[in-house]
Order: sequence, then structure tokens, then C-alpha cells
Amino acid sequence: VNTLMNFSTLAQGPMGALGGGAMSTITLYHYLVVACIMFVIGLIGFLTRRNLIIMFLCTELMFQAAGIALIAFSRFHMNHHGETFVIFVLTVAAAEAALALALVVLLFRRKETLDASAWTEMKG
Amino acid sequence: MVRPFPGGGRGDWPEAWLVEHFVSPIILYIACGLGALGVLTALPKPKFSPFVIGAIIGGAAFGLLMVALGLKAGKDNLPNFHFYIFSALALGSALRVITHPRPIYSALYFILTILASAGLYLILSAEFMTFALVIVYAGAILITYLFVIMLATEGPSEAAVEQLTEFDRQAREPVMATFAGFLLLAGLTSILMTGTRSLTVNASEVANGRELSVMGAKVERILREARVERSDSSGVIIKDTVLRDGESLAKMTVNGEERWAVDVDKGVITVVNAAGTKREIPRDQWPADLKLSNTEGVGMTLIEKHPLSIEIAGVILLMAMLGAVVLARKKVEMDERAKLDAAAREHSLERAGDMLGLQGPFAQPGVGGDR
Repeated sequence: VNTLMNFSTLAQGPMGALGGGAMSTITLYHYLVVACIMFVIGLIGFLTRRNLIIMFLCTELMFQAAGIALIAFSRFHMNHHGETFVIFVLTVAAAEAALALALVVLLFRRKETLDASAWTEMKG
Repeated sequence: MVRPFPGGGRGDWPEAWLVEHFVSPIILYIACGLGALGVLTALPKPKFSPFVIGAIIGGAAFGLLMVALGLKAGKDNLPNFHFYIFSALALGSALRVITHPRPIYSALYFILTILASAGLYLILSAEFMTFALVIVYAGAILITYLFVIMLATEGPSEAAVEQLTEFDRQAREPVMATFAGFLLLAGLTSILMTGTRSLTVNASEVANGRELSVMGAKVERILREARVERSDSSGVIIKDTVLRDGESLAKMTVNGEERWAVDVDKGVITVVNAAGTKREIPRDQWPADLKLSNTEGVGMTLIEKHPLSIEIAGVILLMAMLGAVVLARKKVEMDERAKLDAAAREHSLERAGDMLGLQGPFAQPGVGGDR
């Protein structure tokens, strides 16, 4: 009962070096589950932590989870579109880091604290 | 598809029916609940936040989930050993990112998460993205984070810096957030376990090499370097290069576009010699290294299929750079009097430098004077 999809085996590249050998198989679901768990950890961190910088770190964690899922799908379909999209994920992450950190520095200068709840009056 | 309990199927995996319909969803939900408990235990709380206990519970949940997945996959389809190491490392350090009370350690553990994910990428044979991830993410983005964390540390004295701030010590709404998060995880993973089963591998490694038909120079170089045995006109076996002297790749037309005649689907490379006679090289004579490397594949896909996206990515980066410069710029408020003072100070520094005959940076006006 082959319920999990098998990636076709690849003996090339680093897989051999990693000890997988020619017959190592990879299942898609394992990677998707790892990506899901990482995304949820990032989500929980974003909701619970009160430090602005850590909140942004948690968004990066969620980006990373999306990246793992994209690469796994790319490998599963044996094309490079997923990997190409990870390049754009990296781009967006870099842009987000630059802007978010500039904002954090700005907010820190205003109130001398990184506490997100210091800005509750912005609820409007 | 409901299969009858034992023996009705192929019988090679008799407990499959049980696993498929009963064990696996329950294991999944137990694992999710256990994981939620682990995260909840590890999250920072004012009095006592035992990360180790939380990590052990979370690790048990992860192990349970992997066992469930492995049972479902069957013993022939298990991922290789390194997958478990890298994913446990990635998830464990991700947990530490959100539970460590000190931001700087959170950032360092995030670097560990990145490196472990790079390992996962490597297992998926995405070499190019592995290196891009390590260089861009661990090397550049995280260093920016570390800089900002160090810049934005509060407290007037060293002792105050050493003390944990109140908002780092206490999580906000940990129970609700963990519950919501793991409810999402249970939903996501149960859909994964049941919903996408009809997905099939729809491409083979053959399709992976289609881009070779636009890389004439590479194909010619490889064909010229590889040697193959053939009999010449008088019947003597000689060793010759696959692409003989005077021959070059022919052209073919695919969907109205002219390409090099490297037909991966049919398994035929057509070459033409100086006289214009065509010759076909079948797949069994192709050299082993006639294939697309990962970097080439990513590059070709990027340039061929997503050219507009690259432009947009460039614009996004430019906007982000401008935005960051505008946002983080520090406005210096100066009234007329202060401006005059600053000008006078610079002038006197310049004159002092002249009198001392200083060269180099000290001869520059204003350096070190206006801090």
C-alpha cells in the first residue's frame, strides 16, 4: 500500500556523499510535515513573544518553512520552479528584514523599549 | 479507497488497513496535543520555564509523528537517516528561537535552524539553494538582526543589560496561541495524510534535461571530450570522440523556436558535418555527464520562465533599500546658533590641522570633532 509518493531515486550529487547511496528514497509528506511544524512554531512565536525583534525573527521562521515546502515540491515534480521561487522568498525576506529592522530601530528610539505592548495606543 | 481488513489486499503489509483508517489519525492528533504541551511548557513564563522538559515532550511528539508517517509510508519508502537528524535539529532550534528569553540567543539559534534547513535542501539535491541560503540568510540577514539586537539593547548600565526585561520573560497569551497553532497543524497534517493521495509524479528526470537544447556550447564540449568505441570505414575498432572532427550540433525547431538538436524526449542528438550530412547519436552513446546541473537548471528556469519576476524582485530590493535608508535616518535638529557653533568648530579644527602639518584623516575638517 504505497500511500506516500516516492521521489524517483537519484544517485547523483550530494546524496551519495550523504550516505544515502543509490537506493535512498525521499517521501514528500515527511518534508511537508516538517515544513508545517516549522511554520506553526513560527506562528506561535509571533503570537506569544513580545519582543519586536523576535516577532520578526518568527516571520523569518515562517518564510523558512515555506522554503522547505517549495524545495520539496520542486524535487517531487523534478523541475526547478520551486527552487526558483525560493530565490524570491529570499529576496522578500531580505527586503522585509531591511524595512522591519529600520522600523524597529525607529520605534526603539521613540520609546526606548522593544516591547510590542508599548505601542498598544496604535490600536486606533 | 477502503480496503477490506486483512488479506483482501496484496497482503504484503497486512496491518495497513488498521494503520490507514484508525491508527494514523489518532497518532497524529496525539502527537499534535503532545507537541502543544511541549511548546507550552517551554515558552517563557515568569517563574519557571523548563525548556528541557518542553523539548523532551516536543521531541516525543515529533518522534510519534514520524513513526506514524513511517508506518503510512511503508518500510521501503522511509527517508534516509540524515533527514531525521536535520529536521530534528531544525525544529529543536526553531523551538529554542521562540522560547529563549534573550534575543541574541534566539538569533543564534535561528542561524542553527537555517543551517539545518540547508541540510534538508541538500538531501533534496537543491545544491544551489543550499549555498544561497547559507550565504544570504545565515550570512547576511541574520547578521543584520544581530546588529539591530545589539543596537537596541536598553539599560543604562551593564548590570541593567544583564537583567532580563519583563517583556522577554513573559509570553503573551501562551495557551491560546499554542492551541490555535497546533489546531492549525492538526488540520494541515490531517489533510496531508488523506487529501493529496492522488498526486503522482508527473515528470521524470528526462524532462529535467530539456533545457540542454538551448545550451549548445556545453553539449558540444561534453560530446567532444567523451570517447566512444566505433569501427571505422575499414572495420577496425577505434576509440573516437562522440562528436567527430568537423561535426557540430544541428538545429531543430520546437514550438516555432529554433533550438539545438538535443531531443531529450526522443533520446537523440543530431549532429551535422561540414558537408551537411546529418548523423544521429542515440541515448546509449551519450556521455554520463551530459546532464543539467542543479545550478544550471535553476538559472535556466529563472531566466527562461520567470524573467519579469527577476525585474520585480530587483525593484522590491531597491524600494526596501530606499525605505530603510529613509526610515532609519536620524534627523539632527539644529537651530541657527548650533549651526554657527558647528561651523566654527570645523574651521578651528581645520586650522589646527594646518598648523600641526597633519596629513591623513586628521587633516580632514570635522573628523572626530562633532560627536
